[in-house]
Amino acid sequence: MSEHRTDWLGALVVLVALALVPAILGSSYITGIMTVALCFAMWAASWDFMSGLTGRENFGHSLFIGAGAYTAGFLNVNFGASPWWSLAASPLVAVAFSLVIGFPTLRLRGPYFALAMLSGAAVMQSLTIIFSEYTGGQDGLNGLFPFFDSELTQYYLTLFFLAATVTTLRLVANSPWGTILRAIRGDEASCQAAGINVTFYKIASLMISAAFAGLGGALYAHYQLQVGPDLFAVILSINIIIMVYVGGMGSIYGPVGGAILLILLTEALRAFSEYRLWVYTLILMLILFFLPQGLVAPLWRRLRTIAQ
Amino acid sequence: MAEILVYGAVISAIYAMLAVGFTLIFGVARILNLAHGSFYALGAYGVYALTADAHLPLFLAAAVAVLLVALFGVAVERVLVRPLRRSTLAVLMITLAVALMVEQVLLLIFGSEARNVPSMVNATFDVMGADVSGQRLLALSGAIAILSALWFFMQRTRLGSAILAISQDAEAAQYMGIPSDRIFSLVMGLSAGIAAAAGVLVAPFQTVIPGMGLLPLVKAFAIVVVGGLGSIVGSIVGALLLGYTETIIAFKISIEWSQIVSVAAVLLTLILRPAGFFGKRAAF
Amino acid sequence: MSALLAVDGLNKRFGGLQAVKDVSFALEPGSITGVLGPNGAGKTTLFNLLTGFMAADTGKVEFDDEPLLGLAPYRIVNRGLARTFQLTRPFVGMSVLENVEVACFAPRVRHEGHARARAHAMLEHVGLAPKAASLVDVLPYGDLRRLEIARALATRPKLLLLDEPFAGLGSSEIQPLADLIRELHRKEGLTILIIEHKLRELMQLAHEVIAMDFGEVVATGVPAEIVRHPRVVEAYIGKAEIGESGGALGAA
Repeated sequence: MSEHRTDWLGALVVLVALALVPAILGSSYITGIMTVALCFAMWAASWDFMSGLTGRENFGHSLFIGAGAYTAGFLNVNFGASPWWSLAASPLVAVAFSLVIGFPTLRLRGPYFALAMLSGAAVMQSLTIIFSEYTGGQDGLNGLFPFFDSELTQYYLTLFFLAATVTTLRLVANSPWGTILRAIRGDEASCQAAGINVTFYKIASLMISAAFAGLGGALYAHYQLQVGPDLFAVILSINIIIMVYVGGMGSIYGPVGGAILLILLTEALRAFSEYRLWVYTLILMLILFFLPQGLVAPLWRRLRTIAQ
Repeated sequence: MAEILVYGAVISAIYAMLAVGFTLIFGVARILNLAHGSFYALGAYGVYALTADAHLPLFLAAAVAVLLVALFGVAVERVLVRPLRRSTLAVLMITLAVALMVEQVLLLIFGSEARNVPSMVNATFDVMGADVSGQRLLALSGAIAILSALWFFMQRTRLGSAILAISQDAEAAQYMGIPSDRIFSLVMGLSAGIAAAAGVLVAPFQTVIPGMGLLPLVKAFAIVVVGGLGSIVGSIVGALLLGYTETIIAFKISIEWSQIVSVAAVLLTLILRPAGFFGKRAAF
Repeated sequence: MSALLAVDGLNKRFGGLQAVKDVSFALEPGSITGVLGPNGAGKTTLFNLLTGFMAADTGKVEFDDEPLLGLAPYRIVNRGLARTFQLTRPFVGMSVLENVEVACFAPRVRHEGHARARAHAMLEHVGLAPKAASLVDVLPYGDLRRLEIARALATRPKLLLLDEPFAGLGSSEIQPLADLIRELHRKEGLTILIIEHKLRELMQLAHEVIAMDFGEVVATGVPAEIVRHPRVVEAYIGKAEIGESGGALGAA
């Protein structure tokens, strides 16, 4: 069986497992954690699509997350719109943000792009606190409505969108787009020499990344039922990057695994919540030095070879 | 008005120290050191711990703190950064990890409440009609002294010229037989030491909390981008610009808005003039 | 027969250095033209100006009767002007086949059928088909050169600019590459502009040679005339290539 077939089969197995686990365990606590994990998985996968493929690490992914979350908050709390509107509006707003910040920053080299994006997110966080009359300041917006009264059903909705996200991103990554994005990582000048409009692909991939991040933001907002400036925080972007490093950059599905792993780990260490960042940082260092390809993706590739 | 002048000068001087250290290690080794803020925080906490726990006299504690942080900087470079030199992003991530780690350690050891560091100079002075604490004036003069010493070192000593040479052209410097690796460690130590000195000087009047290094890092980065990556003169000019703009906005509008200035400045510079105003090497 | 490429008064200055000075020439379709000159003569800068990687200070360039200056590099490629780089720049981390595939996605050739198949065909053209699945990271120099050519060919150019294709190659690799270039010219009807300062190879391939020194065109003509041209001889005798060029000049 071809590699791709095995991949999709594996994804199906994971999907079924993710669907069954909360239902079987029947605990509201577990369902809640898993919902959060799935949101992080969407954020990690969307980050990986742009940054993992092109190699241009984006340290301000939280910009799109916050944009999506606050859009959901505004629509639901300030305008009383149904949560379902957020699903359409949040990605669009996030994409708009990506256009505004993408154009000036994408021509910058690696580390500078990373830090420029970080600055963008930091600015948004400050602005959110400054314009507190509109955004609720530090307290943010409260009283959002969930999609469903049943937590389990909402979990399935989130799972559905995660599956849609990963499927879409994988399909695009396996298409000529993916080859071109990886070529951009290889050498931009050569891409130009090959007749490829590099700027277009960079911006487009950032937009796609932003759209799914914003979508995740909306789902998160309607789960937590509140949004705050923390959603723009630098540390959120960093955590997501660590999840991607654990998962394996460029694979899209690896980061999903990385996100779920780390969120579960965080919960398991709840008793030691002061050490949480310690653990994250230690993991990051270990990965950088010993497992630069990550954990999840190489593991899957090993399994896949055995299965074939 | 006089207040703005003096407070602006103090803050610009401190920013200059941070920016110069940041741009040094960048110019020489092309390292965007996200742990730079940590050195600053460690300086402040160092002098606190050495006076409060080890009961060392203040000035000795300050000197020891700076030295220890400088050595820490060298260690970080040798042990953590050097193996990852091939990838600028890996270096970025590892310095980030160090920054996170340091913040966590400080949180663990000292807790999240602000610490009190005694002033070295207790008197208040009247400068041009404004009341300024002696400590602030000390910070200003200390910064000027350290930066002048640095300038002297770079211009007048062989080692300093070597560092200058490398920061301008790393490859050529290698051909001239200058041992880059050792110089990278040295410059990192220097950069860390200057940042720590800044932390020591401001500790008495700034909030000493584990996360105190983040904002100064962002500002150092902002200044260096505006002034030009790798340009020391640019860093000083940028520091003055930022320091005074922040002070003016803080006095006239609000403190919150003043904090955005630095970040907004980065974005604008990257958009309009990516090489910074004095830089030769564009950010793209 | 109207010229495929017409260059008129091209100038480029870097600070105090005039890298390209008032360069003008024309290329007839189907010709192979060489650009000769010692290091620093401005040859690669000329290529960079023609392919959009650098902006010219003044001058006019018309390709296929359309102005070329000011366009982004990828647009120029999609007009039919492709180039290779002096220091090969493959897409690292990808296979040989994928490297050529990327060029098959260029708008100019995107609809011409299955990219993978076309890419394979290009690799066959240059003799790299057996290595299609290898990662470029481990490819020897000579193969990287062929890969660059395959990638350029994939965009179906009318004019191909080759920047020192023989540089760094051992004597056993040079002749096959020269044969390949000649064959491509014959089979595809390509117009070729080739920078090279290995006189011997240039003389074999080029119908006409443009000699440059200090950014200026100092002579144009058939190879046999050029090697005897006093300014060309002066340019070479004055530089380190004396051994190589001396031999070739003597042979002429």
